[in-house]
Amino acid sequence: MSKWKLPYFITRQVLIALVIGGIAGIGFMLFLIEFDDLTSSEAFCTTCHSMEIAAQAYRESTHYNPVSGVRASCGDCHVSEGVIAATWDHILGGKDLLTQISGKLFGPDYDDPVVNALHLPQAAFEARKWFRSKDSATCRRCHVLEAIQGKRADTNAIHLEETDGKSCIDCHINLVHRKVPDEKTFKKDRWRQMVEEEFGLEPGSALDYLSK
Amino acid sequence: MSPSFFKRFLFCVLFSIYPELFAAKVSVDPSEWGDPLGEECISCHEKSSSGLTRQWRKSAHAEAGVNCFDCHKASIDDNDAITHEGQVIATIVSPLDCSRCHTVEYEQQKGSVHSEAVSIIENRLPALAGHVGGDAIIAAGCDQCHGSRVVMRGDGSLDPRSWPNSGIGRINPDGSKGSCSSCHGKHRFSKAQAREPSACVRCHSGPDSPDKAIYEASKHGMQYQAHRDEMALDSDSWVAGKDYVAAPTCVTCHMGAAGKLKANHDVGMRNMWSLNTPVSEKQYLVVFEDGEKMELPASQSPPRRGSEISKTDGSLGKVKAVATPKRRRQAMQLVCLECHSKALTESFMDQFDDVVKLFNEKFGTPAKQIMQALYTEGLLTPAPFDEPIEFIYWELWHDEGARARHGASMASANHTWWEGMYLVGRNFYSRFLPQVEKIAGSERASTLIQTYVTSSDHHQWLEQPQKSNPILGYDVGRQADE
Repeated sequence: MSKWKLPYFITRQVLIALVIGGIAGIGFMLFLIEFDDLTSSEAFCTTCHSMEIAAQAYRESTHYNPVSGVRASCGDCHVSEGVIAATWDHILGGKDLLTQISGKLFGPDYDDPVVNALHLPQAAFEARKWFRSKDSATCRRCHVLEAIQGKRADTNAIHLEETDGKSCIDCHINLVHRKVPDEKTFKKDRWRQMVEEEFGLEPGSALDYLSK
Repeated sequence: MSPSFFKRFLFCVLFSIYPELFAAKVSVDPSEWGDPLGEECISCHEKSSSGLTRQWRKSAHAEAGVNCFDCHKASIDDNDAITHEGQVIATIVSPLDCSRCHTVEYEQQKGSVHSEAVSIIENRLPALAGHVGGDAIIAAGCDQCHGSRVVMRGDGSLDPRSWPNSGIGRINPDGSKGSCSSCHGKHRFSKAQAREPSACVRCHSGPDSPDKAIYEASKHGMQYQAHRDEMALDSDSWVAGKDYVAAPTCVTCHMGAAGKLKANHDVGMRNMWSLNTPVSEKQYLVVFEDGEKMELPASQSPPRRGSEISKTDGSLGKVKAVATPKRRRQAMQLVCLECHSKALTESFMDQFDDVVKLFNEKFGTPAKQIMQALYTEGLLTPAPFDEPIEFIYWELWHDEGARARHGASMASANHTWWEGMYLVGRNFYSRFLPQVEKIAGSERASTLIQTYVTSSDHHQWLEQPQKSNPILGYDVGRQADE
C-alpha cells in the first residue's frame, strides 16, 4: 500500500457518489449550454407564432442580412453571454411563455396580428430597458466601439468622441424590429390609430382587441 | 376736405388698423435663445451631417448664438415630437416654431395666398393631379410647391407621401400653415438668397406661373442681370430707392420695403387682380381679428367690419379690416414710384388692366359660359378631364391665359402676346370652338357661339370672311381691305 492515504471519511460509497455527482454535474452544465443554445435559436423562438411576427421584420434587417454574412440570431442579442447569465435570462423569458399560453387560454391572444401590433411598443420598451441595464453587452459581443468604421467619413470619429456615458441602445433603436418611438414621446392613441388603419379596422375598434 | 388729404387719411387709417404692414427685426430678448442643450448637438452633427451644420455656422443665426435646439425643440405633447439623444425635438420647424422669435413675419404670412396654398386647391387637386396624374405626382409635384398635409405616423416616422416637403402652404403637424424654408433655404437662412428672384423660381415657373421667364424677359430682369452687384442683397436694411436702385426683384414689388411702404410677408397683399382664375376679378383683402386673411372678389359687396364670415378653410372669422382693390394697387404703385413717375406708373397699370379686361371679355367669360352651357345641357359629363375640350378649356385660362395676364403685369411683351394671348386666341378659335361644334352639333353650337362669342365686338371680324389680308400670302400685292 502506498503511504498516501485517503481520509477516513472517503469511503468507497462516497467516492462513487462523487464520481457520479461530478459526471452528473458536468452533464447538467453541458445540458444547460446545449439548452441555452437551442432556446436562443430563431427556429426555437419562432415556434410561438407571436415571435414569428417579430421575426418578419428581423428577416428584412441588416442583422439578418449583413454583407459580411455574419448573421445575428435572436439569442445573440436577447440572451446574455455565459451559461449562468444565459440560463437566468431564459428563466426570465419563461414569463413570456406563460403570457403566451395564458393569452391563448384567456386572451389577449398575442398570435393575433392586431393584438401583437398593439402590444409591440410595450415589448419594445421592455427590451430597450433590458439592453440599457446590461450596458448593451450583447451588442458589444460583436461590435467593438473603437473599430466601428461605418460608411460615412465621420462614423468612426462619432463613436470615439461622442459616446461618453452612452450605451449602444441609447442611439440605436429600431434597427431590427418594427419601428416603435421612444417611450418618452410615444403616443398610445396614435399608435392605435396606425394599427387600425393598417388592418382596415373601424376607428376606435382596436380598443376591443386590447380587452380581448 | 381736399381729395388728396382724404386719400392720405384713408391710407393712414388702413396702415394703422393693419400694423402687420410694418416689418420689424426680432424683438425677443437674446436670453430667450442659445439654449445650452443645443450646444450639445453641434459636435456630433458636425460629423454626422456636416453639410447642414456648416451652413448653419455661416448663418446669422449662428452669429447671434441661435442653435439647433432653439428651432428644433418640441414639447412631449407635440404631434411630431420625437426623442433624439434624450432630447425631445421635432424634425419639422414650422412657421409656428419660427414665430417664437419671428412673430411679426409669422403674423404677416398667416392667411396669405402663400400659407393658404394647400387650402386653395385642395378640393380641386384630386380631379387633375389625382386622375390625370396619380398619388406619386401629388407628392413629388403639386405638394412640393403648394405644400403637403404632413402626416406623422404612430410609429414616430413622417409619412414619406407627405415628407420631405417644403411647399409654401404646407399644413404642419402642429396645425400651422406654411413653410418658411420654402423661400429661406435652411440651415443658412441667408437674406441675400431669399431676396434673389431664384427664391421664387422653384415654383413660379412652368406653364401656369411662368414668372421666372417673364421677369427675365422684362426690363426689370434685364437691369437686375446687368447690375446684380449693386443690389445690396446682403444689406440689413433693404429699402428700394434707398439701399438699392439697380432693379426690383420679385421680393421688391410683392413684399419689399420701398420708400414709406414697409416690407411685408403677405406676398399677395399688393395684388389687385386674381390672375390665375378662368376670369380675373379685382379682389378685396379681408383681414380677420385672428390675423388670418382672405381674398374676396370685388363683385361681391365688401363685408362689414365686425361681421362674421367664413374663411378659406370654412371656419368662421370676425372681420377686422378690408383693403379695397384700389388700396392694394396703390400699395403696389408706391414701389413703382421709387423709380418711375406717377404718369408712367398709372399708364403702365392701364396697359396691364386692359390686357386683363381683354382676356376676360374676349376669351375668359365666353369660354366659361359655353362650358357652363355644355355641362348644364348634359353635353359634357360632369367629370373633369374625361373629354378633350376640358383640357382645351383648362389650358386656355390656366396656362395660356395666366401667362398673358402675368406677362402684362410684369412687362414682358413676349409673354403677353406670343406666349400668352396669341396662344389663347389660337386655342379659342382653332380648337375650342371647333370642339364645341363637335360636341353640341352645328345647330346648337351656332346658337351658343352667336350668344356668347360673335355677338361681342371682339369677335366681329369672324363675320367678315371676305375681308382679305396679305399676312398669309393670299392676294399678295393687293392692298389690304381692297
